[in-house]
Amino acid sequence: MWLKEDAHIQKRDINLKNPFVNAAGTLGFAPHPPSMPFLKYLGAFITNPISRFARQPAGNRTCLSFPGGLLLHSGHPNPGISHIIRRFSRRWASAPLPIIVHLLVETPHTLTEMVHKLEGLENILALELGLPPDIDPQALPTLMEAAQGELPLILALSFDQVPSLLEVISQLQPSAIHLTEPRGMLSGQDGKWVRGRLDGPAIFPLMVKAAKQLVEVKLRVIVNAGVYLRWQADALLASGVFAVALGSALWQVNTDNLFLTL
Amino acid sequence: MTNLETRLLEVRQLGQERVGIFDLPEKFLPYPGQYLPCQKHFDDTKLLPTHLFQVFCPYEESCLGPLPENWYPGDRIRSLPPQGNGFRLPSSSRRLGLLSLGESPLRLLALTKIALAQNAAIALFCDPKPDPDLLNLLPPMVEVSSINSLQDNLDWPDFLGVDLDHTNLNQLNDILGYFDLRFEGQVLVRTPMPCHGLGECGICAVRTHHGSRLACVDGPVFSLQEVLHVA
Repeated sequence: MWLKEDAHIQKRDINLKNPFVNAAGTLGFAPHPPSMPFLKYLGAFITNPISRFARQPAGNRTCLSFPGGLLLHSGHPNPGISHIIRRFSRRWASAPLPIIVHLLVETPHTLTEMVHKLEGLENILALELGLPPDIDPQALPTLMEAAQGELPLILALSFDQVPSLLEVISQLQPSAIHLTEPRGMLSGQDGKWVRGRLDGPAIFPLMVKAAKQLVEVKLRVIVNAGVYLRWQADALLASGVFAVALGSALWQVNTDNLFLTL
Repeated sequence: MTNLETRLLEVRQLGQERVGIFDLPEKFLPYPGQYLPCQKHFDDTKLLPTHLFQVFCPYEESCLGPLPENWYPGDRIRSLPPQGNGFRLPSSSRRLGLLSLGESPLRLLALTKIALAQNAAIALFCDPKPDPDLLNLLPPMVEVSSINSLQDNLDWPDFLGVDLDHTNLNQLNDILGYFDLRFEGQVLVRTPMPCHGLGECGICAVRTHHGSRLACVDGPVFSLQEVLHVA
């Protein structure tokens, strides 16, 4: 087999000890073993979404329940990559499991800056790129190029972005795809409409369908399918997904139901 | 974090709210203002924990509430240890004002036991007046007045406890913002706290003079000076 010296090797393997991860936005910026007894069941820890500069919480932040699910809207507040590295890089290095850093993609330039800041830090398994909801498929190769470095790349895209991005993703072959929860709208307490991420068992059938679509084109898929019960995780793993991402299910008082037979 | 299985022993109606007495060890009892994330066994109607607060209880036991409609005596409940920062009533306080801008003053009235133990006089300011059933259960040392009368008597309290929904922070500015306050105060800001500190998800963020703070970890009780004139 011949390797072209000028060709970029884009795909790098990610190995997980266990086929479970947390979804970005559910467990903070670094593992905290005393309050997270379930860490031993996870193959990697995904940080909360991180931007180049600080982001404030959304003005209409909320958590709304509907039968079978939740709508969460926070605006992904975070103090920016430099502050996060200062505050958490030591905890990442000493964490009992590898870290996947979730980066909020804004522009190619800021993405490159963030990637450079993270390279060389210890115990980072991969970078996860959170794509904007309205991304143009033509812009994706440029973003991937901007994020190229030493670390494997995972593309995080929402269920509703699959149809428009599938072709270009198949060509780019990132290390993995993280299929994140769909977005929806509900009326808040004050009667105003709120957009946000949906989580919970209600989204499970939709996510299974979308995950299978990606698995069929030979992509490695991590999926947040609103899993709350062990059989749901088993069904996803049997369908060929690489790992199951757990979201608000990890906020339950007792998470034994999820991991009991492991 | 160790979770604990407990049992709901009794359910009582205090005014408009259902509250309960639980078979809980002392160290799992939240201080007034702290919250206890709890989930009923095999309840698939509620995905996230219910946050129970210590509420006023006219009986010997400690009551927690408000309880969800589908919790009944005998139910098995899983609970985490008490979370967040509660009220810290100074031991020197002798005139405790309680300002309720919520639907129920029960969480605030949990402070009465501590205040009475240090011989403090207590005045509850709320509009409208609490349910007559609740009024009848209040100790005679607790005076109940309208919010206007707090504005007329701002030199009376040496400590003010406030309970409000996060959407009412502006209202607090309207009530207290124009005065030179000479007392300490603390505010219980009620807001959804879905991750109860585990995820720093930001949904419970409260604007303070020191930037955004998370109610689940830094609160839900904040110093009055920190949240006044911010919203």
